[in-house]
Amino acid sequence: MKIFSYLIVTFTILILLGCQSKFPLDKDLTRKNYTFFNQDSVEVIFPDIIQDKVTVIGFIYTNCPDICPMTTHNMYLIQQKLKKNALDNVLFVSVTFDPERDLPSVLKKFGKIRDIDFNNWVFLWGDKKNTESLLKRFDITALKTDSTYFDDGELSYGMMHTDRISLIDNESRLKKNYRGSKVNLEELYNDIINLGE
Amino acid sequence: MFSLLAVLLIIFNSGDDIVIKDQWIRPGAEKMGTALYFTIQNNGSEADTLFAVETDNAKMVQIHETYSTGDVMGMREIGKINIEPGSSVKLEPGGKHIMVMRLKKDIKKGDEIEFKLHFQKAGEISITARAK
Repeated sequence: MKIFSYLIVTFTILILLGCQSKFPLDKDLTRKNYTFFNQDSVEVIFPDIIQDKVTVIGFIYTNCPDICPMTTHNMYLIQQKLKKNALDNVLFVSVTFDPERDLPSVLKKFGKIRDIDFNNWVFLWGDKKNTESLLKRFDITALKTDSTYFDDGELSYGMMHTDRISLIDNESRLKKNYRGSKVNLEELYNDIINLGE
Repeated sequence: MFSLLAVLLIIFNSGDDIVIKDQWIRPGAEKMGTALYFTIQNNGSEADTLFAVETDNAKMVQIHETYSTGDVMGMREIGKINIEPGSSVKLEPGGKHIMVMRLKKDIKKGDEIEFKLHFQKAGEISITARAK
């Protein structure tokens, strides 16, 4: 009888550990509202826009030549795969951490040239205060680095930033973070499917 | 006669010492930046150095590398890339790349963009990169 009890306890712990490793986070994102503007310059409130939707969110700046395009491309591949399988209740969100340069029209152009389907993908621009506050909520670091002046005097700068895609469930709870540029697409896709079930 | 032949051989062979292959560029919108990638193969017997890249399609072009500290990524200008004899260097996403800044026009998927690569020994090599 004693051995049987031990087995039940061990089995329960293993199940709990298994669940935890699949979705290691459970952070409620509804406690604070953030005002943003989408790629069409329409005001939106985060987290209202993600309500009742499994959401894949990425953090980018459009002057990034290497990492952010990879992150965006990975999200694009997931969007295409979900679309192919008629799974359209997943929202994609890209938040710029460079509000000085990435105005909504710039974000729209960035998305358009990458053939992104805006039907379930929102690009978000916010003022410095809202942007920094949301970045903090997601533990994202973004700092200006290498500066260069073009010959017309305009300043160009790079950014050092967290390489991140995050997955949020349909109750607006942050469930898992991934390396944006190097995410395992199969893992992310399967996690989306698991959250949607 | 032999001297002339030797000079001609050197001239004609030097162009093949550095071979550029698998070049491609990411799409990018006007006024924004993008990255160019390729592999440099050095078939020669001496090391060579890529020290500059030019294109008419951008305001500025720099040789960069991406680096990471934990999950925080950054990039920095490295100025040049050395290629040892008999070896190759791959410029690829997340590593060394050519940063193409302030595009003068949109680069869409399928577009072909010309670049001039400048090497210390091989001189100027022109390439065409397709956007994908």
